[in-house]
Amino acid sequence: MDTYDTADGDERPILSRLIKLGLFLLAQGIAVMLVAFVALLVSLGTGWSATTGQAGLLQPGEAWSGSLLLKEDGATTEAIRLGTDIDITVSGPTLRARVTQAFRNPTRDWVAATYVYPLATNGAVDTLKMVVGDRVIVGDIKERQRARVIYEEARRAGQKAALTEQERPNIFTNSVANIGPGETVLVQIEYQEPVHQSGNEYSLRVPLVVAPRYNPAPIVQSVDFRKDGSGWGIATSDPVPDRDRISPQVLDPARNAPVNPTSITVRLKAGFALGEVRSHHHNVKVESPDNTTRVVTLADGAVPADRDFELTWKPAAGTAPSVGLFREHVGDADYLLAFVTPPSTEQATQKPLPREVVFVIDNSGSMGGTSIVQAKASLLYALGRLQPNDRFNVIRFDDTMDVLFPASAPADAAHVNEARSFVGALQARGGTEMVPAMRAALTDKLVDGSMVRQVVFLTDGAIGNEQQLFETITAMRGRSRVFMVGIGSAPNTFLMTRAAELGRGAFTHIGSVEQVEERMRGLFARLENPAVTGLTAKFSDAKADVTPAIIPDIYREEPLVLAARLDKPAGSLEIKGRVGDRPWSVTLPLQSAAEGKGLSKLWAKRKIGDAEVARAMRETTPEESDKAILALALDHQIVTRLTSLVAVDKTPSRPEGEPLKLSDLPINLPDGWDFEKVFGERPHLTPTQLRERHADARNQPTPAAPDTIRLPKTATSAELKMIAGLILIALALILLVFKRRRSLLTDAA
Amino acid sequence: MPRLVSPLALALVGLILFGDGAYIHAKAWLAQVLLERAFDRSIATGQAVKPWPWADTRPVARIEVKRIGASAIVLEGASGQALAFGPGHIHQSADAGERGIAVYAAHRDTHFRFLRNVAIGDVIDVTRSNGRHFRYRADSTAVVRFDASGIDPAAEGFELVLATCWPFDAVTSGPERYVLHATLIGASS
Repeated sequence: MDTYDTADGDERPILSRLIKLGLFLLAQGIAVMLVAFVALLVSLGTGWSATTGQAGLLQPGEAWSGSLLLKEDGATTEAIRLGTDIDITVSGPTLRARVTQAFRNPTRDWVAATYVYPLATNGAVDTLKMVVGDRVIVGDIKERQRARVIYEEARRAGQKAALTEQERPNIFTNSVANIGPGETVLVQIEYQEPVHQSGNEYSLRVPLVVAPRYNPAPIVQSVDFRKDGSGWGIATSDPVPDRDRISPQVLDPARNAPVNPTSITVRLKAGFALGEVRSHHHNVKVESPDNTTRVVTLADGAVPADRDFELTWKPAAGTAPSVGLFREHVGDADYLLAFVTPPSTEQATQKPLPREVVFVIDNSGSMGGTSIVQAKASLLYALGRLQPNDRFNVIRFDDTMDVLFPASAPADAAHVNEARSFVGALQARGGTEMVPAMRAALTDKLVDGSMVRQVVFLTDGAIGNEQQLFETITAMRGRSRVFMVGIGSAPNTFLMTRAAELGRGAFTHIGSVEQVEERMRGLFARLENPAVTGLTAKFSDAKADVTPAIIPDIYREEPLVLAARLDKPAGSLEIKGRVGDRPWSVTLPLQSAAEGKGLSKLWAKRKIGDAEVARAMRETTPEESDKAILALALDHQIVTRLTSLVAVDKTPSRPEGEPLKLSDLPINLPDGWDFEKVFGERPHLTPTQLRERHADARNQPTPAAPDTIRLPKTATSAELKMIAGLILIALALILLVFKRRRSLLTDAA
Repeated sequence: MPRLVSPLALALVGLILFGDGAYIHAKAWLAQVLLERAFDRSIATGQAVKPWPWADTRPVARIEVKRIGASAIVLEGASGQALAFGPGHIHQSADAGERGIAVYAAHRDTHFRFLRNVAIGDVIDVTRSNGRHFRYRADSTAVVRFDASGIDPAAEGFELVLATCWPFDAVTSGPERYVLHATLIGASS
C-alpha cells in the first residue's frame, strides 16, 4: 500500500504537469490558428486594395463631383478631347469673334462634357450654334434657371443639347449633353466687342485659359449690414459661393502634354491704312491683301490654350484719328458709338503735381515663375520714376501682408533704395488675400490734400472673390485713384478693368518681361499727366440713353468711349470737360457717322455693366438691377449672369437605357506659372486628392499615379500557412501521444 | 477510438494548411517551368505564346542573375493572380531597354527570394519576348513604403527596378518594399 502510495504520489505530479502542458499547447494551437486566420483575412484585404485601388478609381456616382471618369478595368482610358478655332473679324471700331469648340468623344460611352473657358470681358455673347453631323441647331436666350431646366430635360431624354452660361463676365461654361461614342459635336458661340484704343495703338485681346483662382476659405463670416442703420445684416459665409464652377481641374505641365489645341485667325479691316501689326505672345503669319486689311494666322498652326492672344495695330502714317463716330439702325432705334481722344496737354509746360503713390505687389504663389519677375521689374521701374518731392509706400501681400513704411515716406535716395532691396527680395508663395492689401493701400493717412493720391496695384488677379475687392474699393476709395497692372500670361482682365473703373484709374497689361518698360512708361504717362475731368455728353436734338451714365475721367492717350441709344440720328453730340485747368469741348454732327456693326449689342452690354456696377456700389437694390439686366439681356439676346443660351436637338440620339457619363474637361496651367506654388497652397485640395485628380485627367492608357509607382503586394501567405500547418500537425501528434500515454496509464491502473 | 478524433481533426486542418502553403510554392514553381517553355517558344516563333491554354497573361521578359544562377520569367501586369505565377511587369513603368524605369515585382518567398543574394555590382540580364537582350548592373538598394517608392515613371535614364516585400524573413505582409535599382550597361539583339 505504502509503495503504491509513494508510486501514486510520484505519478500524479507528472500527470498533472503533462495535463497542464497539453492544455497549454492546445491553447497555443488555437491561438496560432486564430492568428493565422486573422492574418490571412488581413493579408487578403490589403492585397485586394493594393491591386484594385491603385489610382483611386472613381465610381460612376462620384463623377458628379467633376473628374474624368476612367474605365473600370483600367485598361483603356480616354477622355473627351477638345479643339478650339477662333475666327475674328475686326471692322473698324468693333470686332466679331466666332469661337468653335469641337468636342470629340473617343470613348465607347455616351458622354456629357463641361468646359470652362474665358472670353473677353467686354464681349457680348449673343449666338450659340450646335452642329451635329450636317444639322445646325441655333440656341435661344433664356433666363438662366429656365435654360438649365431645358438642358437637363434634353439630357435626360437622350437629346443632344448645348448650354452656354456666364460664371463671371470673363468666364463662361459650355455644357454639351449626349455626345455619342466616336462622335464629334461642334459648339459655336459668337460675340461682339469694341476694339481697344490707347494713344496711337489699337488692340484686341483673346484670353485662352482661365487661370487657377485663389478662393479664400469660408472660415470667417463676413457680415453685410443693411444701409438703413437698423443693425440688421446678413452673414455671408462663403466669399466665393460658386467656387466649384470656376475651378476646373488644371493639368500639371510637367506631367501632361498641353491640351485644348487652339487655332486663331484674325481678319483685320481697320478702316485706315495700316502700319505695324504685332502679336505679342504668339508667332503669327500676316498677309496683306490691301493696305487697310490684314489676315493674321498663327504661324505654327494650333497652339495649346495656355496664354492670352494679344494683337496690336497702328496706323501707317501720322497719328490715329482722334475722333470716331459710328451708328447702326436696329428695330426702331439708332445706336451710336463714339470714340474721342482729348488733346494731350504739353508735358513740359506743366510741372507735375506732387503725388503720393502706394505700390502694391502681389507675391502669392500664382505669381510664381515669370510673373513675379515681370512684377518686380515693373515695380523697380516705377520706383526709378519717382520725383524727390513725391511720397511713396510699398505693400506686398500673399496670404500675409507687409507694409514697408508706417506712413508714406519721401521719395529720397535712402527710402527708394530701401524699397528696392525690399522688392528685390520678394519670393512668390502662399495664397492671394487681396482684400486686406487693397484696404491698407486705400487707407489715407496723409492729411495734405494738395497731393494726388494714387495706388498702383500689380497682380494677376487670380482670385475668385472679385466682388469683395470691388466692394472694398467702392467703400474706401476716398480721393485715391486705383491703377491696375495685370501681370502674366493670363491675367483676370475683368478684375483689372472693373477695379480700375471703380477706382477711377486706368489699367494696363504686362504679358512678358519685354513689355515691362513700354507698358510702364505708358502707365506713368497717365500717372504724371492731369486727367480730363468733369466730362459730360449732350445731344442737341435726339433723346438719348447714354452709357456710361457718369463719364469717368480720361487719362492721357486714352479715348473716351460712349455708346448711346437714340430715337433719331439727328443733330449733334457735344462733349465737354476740363483738361488740367483748361476747359475743352468738341461737337460731333451725327450725320457724319459711319455705319457700324453690332453696336446695339455693345450698348446693351455696356448698360448691363453699368447695372452691375450700380449693384456693387449699392446705388440700386439688387432686385432693381437684376430686373434691368434681365430685360436688356433678353431684348438683345446677350448671355449674362442671369441669362444663358441653350440649344436642343429635337431628335433624340442616345438610345434609352444607355448610361450617360459626365466629363469635366481639364485645362492648361497658364504659361509661365509654377504648378507647385499654386497648388501647394490650396487648403481644400490635399496632395492625394490632387494626385487622383491628375490621374483622372491623364489621357494615358493606364491609371498611373503620376509621381511615383505604387509597388504591389509581394508576399504570399505560403510560409504562414505552412508554419501554421506544421504547428497543428505537431500539436496533433503531441495530443495523440499524450492520449495514448494516458490510456496506457489508466489501463495499467 | 473516439479519443483519436480530436488529434486527427487537428492533424487534418494542419495538413490542409500546410498543403495550401505548399501549393503556392508548387504553383509558382510549375508555372515558371511552363512559362520558361512558352517564353522560349515566343522568342523562337516571334509570337506571343500562352503558357497554358486558359492563361490571361503572357510572358514578357526573362530576368537572369548569372552569378547566383537565378532566373525568372516576367509576366505582363502585377495583379495578384499574375504574381502567383511569376514576377510581374508593372503597367505604368517602361519596358526593359526603353527610356524610363522598368519595374518588375515578385513575391519575396518565391520568385524573388534570390534578390537577397544579389549584390551591388551584379549583372542582371533581361531578355524581352521579342528576343532583344539588355544587361543592367545593380547599383543601389533601398527599403521604401509601397506607396512612396520614389520611383518616377518619367525618369530620364534607362533603368531597371526589381521590387519585393521587405523584410525577407517576415511571415506576414507589411507596407515595406525592398527595391533593387540597376542601370543599363549594354544591349544586343
